[in-house]
Amino acid sequence: MKKFRRGTAIVAATALAGLTLAACGSGKDSGGGDSGSGIIVGTTDKVVSIDPAGAYDNGSLNVQTQVYQYLLNFPAGSTDLTPDAASKCEFDADDATKYVCTMKDGLKFANGNDLTASDVVFSFKRIVAINDPNGPATLLGAMKSIEATGDSTVTFTLAAPNDVTFPQVLVTSAGPIVDEETYPADKVMDDDAAVAANGFSGPYTISKYSKNQLAEFKANPDYDGTYGKAKTQTVTMKYYAKAENLKLDIKNKDIDVAYRSLTPTDIADLDKTDGVNVEVGAGGELRYIVFNLNKMPGDSPEQKLAIRKAVASSVNRSEISTEVYKGTYTPAYSMVPDGQAGATEAFKDAYGDKPDKAAAEKYLSDAGVSTPVSIKLQYNPDHYGSSSAEEYAAVKRQLEATGLFKVDLQSTEWVTYSEEYPADTYPVHQLGWFPDFPDADNYLSPFLSPYNKDKSGNFTNSHYNDEDTAFVDTTMSKLLDSERTDGDQASREATLGEIQARVADVVPYLPLLTGTSVAVAVDGVDGVKDTLDASFKFRFTSLSK
Amino acid sequence: MTTAEVLAPTPGPPESPAKRGAGLSPLARYLLVRAALLVPMVWVLVTMVFLLMRVIGDPIQAALGGRLSPAQIAERKADAGLDRPILTQYWEYISGLFRGDFGTTLTDKRQVSTILVENGAATLELAFWSLIVAFAIGIPLGRLAARYRDRLPDVLLRLFAILVYAAPVFFVGLLLKLAFTPFGWPSSGRASIGTELTLQDVNPHTNIMIVDAILWGDPAMIGDVLKHAMLPAIALGLLTGGVFLRLVRVNLLQTMRMDYVTAARARGVSERRVLNKHAFRNALVPVVTVMGLQIALLLGGAILTETTFEWKGLGYQLAEYLIKRDFLAVQGIVTLIAIVVGVSSFLIDVIVAFVDPRVRF
Repeated sequence: MKKFRRGTAIVAATALAGLTLAACGSGKDSGGGDSGSGIIVGTTDKVVSIDPAGAYDNGSLNVQTQVYQYLLNFPAGSTDLTPDAASKCEFDADDATKYVCTMKDGLKFANGNDLTASDVVFSFKRIVAINDPNGPATLLGAMKSIEATGDSTVTFTLAAPNDVTFPQVLVTSAGPIVDEETYPADKVMDDDAAVAANGFSGPYTISKYSKNQLAEFKANPDYDGTYGKAKTQTVTMKYYAKAENLKLDIKNKDIDVAYRSLTPTDIADLDKTDGVNVEVGAGGELRYIVFNLNKMPGDSPEQKLAIRKAVASSVNRSEISTEVYKGTYTPAYSMVPDGQAGATEAFKDAYGDKPDKAAAEKYLSDAGVSTPVSIKLQYNPDHYGSSSAEEYAAVKRQLEATGLFKVDLQSTEWVTYSEEYPADTYPVHQLGWFPDFPDADNYLSPFLSPYNKDKSGNFTNSHYNDEDTAFVDTTMSKLLDSERTDGDQASREATLGEIQARVADVVPYLPLLTGTSVAVAVDGVDGVKDTLDASFKFRFTSLSK
Repeated sequence: MTTAEVLAPTPGPPESPAKRGAGLSPLARYLLVRAALLVPMVWVLVTMVFLLMRVIGDPIQAALGGRLSPAQIAERKADAGLDRPILTQYWEYISGLFRGDFGTTLTDKRQVSTILVENGAATLELAFWSLIVAFAIGIPLGRLAARYRDRLPDVLLRLFAILVYAAPVFFVGLLLKLAFTPFGWPSSGRASIGTELTLQDVNPHTNIMIVDAILWGDPAMIGDVLKHAMLPAIALGLLTGGVFLRLVRVNLLQTMRMDYVTAARARGVSERRVLNKHAFRNALVPVVTVMGLQIALLLGGAILTETTFEWKGLGYQLAEYLIKRDFLAVQGIVTLIAIVVGVSSFLIDVIVAFVDPRVRF
């Protein structure tokens, strides 16, 4: 018994000591370290790979934005392409399929290796060669070849002359420049190896790293690029599994900034919390409905068109924006979201911004469609955020409120969904789009280009612009070719407007909402708003406190 | 007859070879049998994991379907060896385990063994803290319930035991977070960020935060680590504590009816002394036995607790890879958990054999 008592006493003493020590270290930033001197950013995004060849996602892009240099980049608050590692890039005056970049002199990686034109060629070639399923190789579809045409000159040969979208590709996940002396040419580099190799030349390097747990970034004193000098020497990224924990930590001021992805309800709650500020910037995510033109209701193309127009006249985007998303998504009246150069409000012009039952009724009766029209509407509950169910319940309610539609709303998990919608399973379904680069073309070409079965053109499976059907649209194809290769901004924007009006007229897609980018910062943290721009780059260099 | 002759052992008949094999001590024989049983038990467990992962469908399609063309899917299947006959896959899987190769994740191409090393320590630490909480709750309260059998304290304690056992661990965790975080208790993580970053410099780095903090030698950091461990340990420890409480109570009451206890009473030993000195230690033996089973319960509960509290251990990783449908990662992690459960059961058998000589005979 004495033994047991001794054991009990040890357990009790341990517990007591623990409690005492815990109480002693009860300060919010207790525990030492240098977290107090830097900024801590929390996110629910995950890093797939630090190596650009193996990642094409927000979490990885966020790390890459801090540690790699690009040929061109967007300075904070702007979507104007600005030289980063390059001193200039331009189309060859004699051959518009050549895009030539001249490198700055004296660039180095943080490990001391020189950053040269050869590294740039290596970086782009390996992305294509590795062609990792998680990687950005598809973004380089317009690049036929790349070569170093001198110690400091890189020449891209493009598939089409004067392709104005290609310079934008250089700023995407396909654009980071890596060190050819440390990165393997034929495989994706493991994160820990990438950190150890220190082949970074961006504004920050990675000083400590636990994959998807913590990453500590230290300012790179040798950085010479678009973002300028870092305002904060140390930024730590903390990765969360649950938005609720991210919310609690920013609410308790245990972290300085919460960037992606708090729920609309959490953001609304934090907006009312003392000591924290919700910063809203340009978004870019588009949420929309796809009509499978072959499978949707309607006995003829004319009837199908009338049904699409009637649906367009019946939805209330503002209500979904405020009721479901608490303003964190705003109404989208075009496939090109507001804020992008050349964006219009084509759907508002064609169908108004409020539901118009009379107009919807007229479209249907003129085409001889009997009502109520039965629509099978499919959405996905696990890929486009937790509020999709509420969003599509609202769409169903709005359509049925007109008395013109009977909506059969069904949901399917992403694994199945992503197999079934390309297989013509759903007549009408939900999709979302996050752009590869901030240009109107990126909201148009992937949706409207000539349809082909390998989805290299139109990936949504709407069958719009499908040459084997009544939905082929050669005019649209010509308009897209024109805007992609038009170096004159004014005439390009006119063409973009024409395309958007045509989409509103044919309605193969119904844009519903566009996302804003939201970050929450505690009092005293500056620069968050500066980086929430349409480039979708969250730059640590802007942050200070 | 001299004294020496009296004390000399009487020579017996020579031992037969069969009996010589049985000449091992009962304890050694018992441990040998248990160790021999461990191998088929772990083999069955890992085989089950392997088969279950094949039954649920094509892991490559599940993880990467919709992002790759059919040709790319086929290529990835070939890379992962999933296009080979099932017996070949099984042989590669088992032989890989012997080499410490638990495979590679599909979605982020990490060695599963790296994940096990990096995150296993966190789960071990959480299990340790929660066992302390479970003992601290279950043993004294079980004794209290036995002492006040069928009276109000006993009824309340039994109700408490049922409640904490039945309540979902994530729900308890959420309640704890809501109750304590307004008072400055951390809602998530294994330590403050500054502490975590600093402790990465500890050499040797064990990944067991409390050990690293002690090695670093800063009391504030030790306090910080303990403070972060408190809520998840309570959430998970309550679950096991409820089981311990009921076990201790029942076994104590049974022991109190044994003859030797009656004899002690007849000798005039006080009831308190009978309970504490004569009955209690014997009543603990079944608790140790059940502890082995509780390891599995703890690891299962750790998945929810780790996710609730962002405690980045194996359970957290398992949940992450399940969400990503990376079943090759899931297979590796579950295999390790199966091995841990098997080995834990063996170790518990060993402890019980030492504590209670009856089990070896």
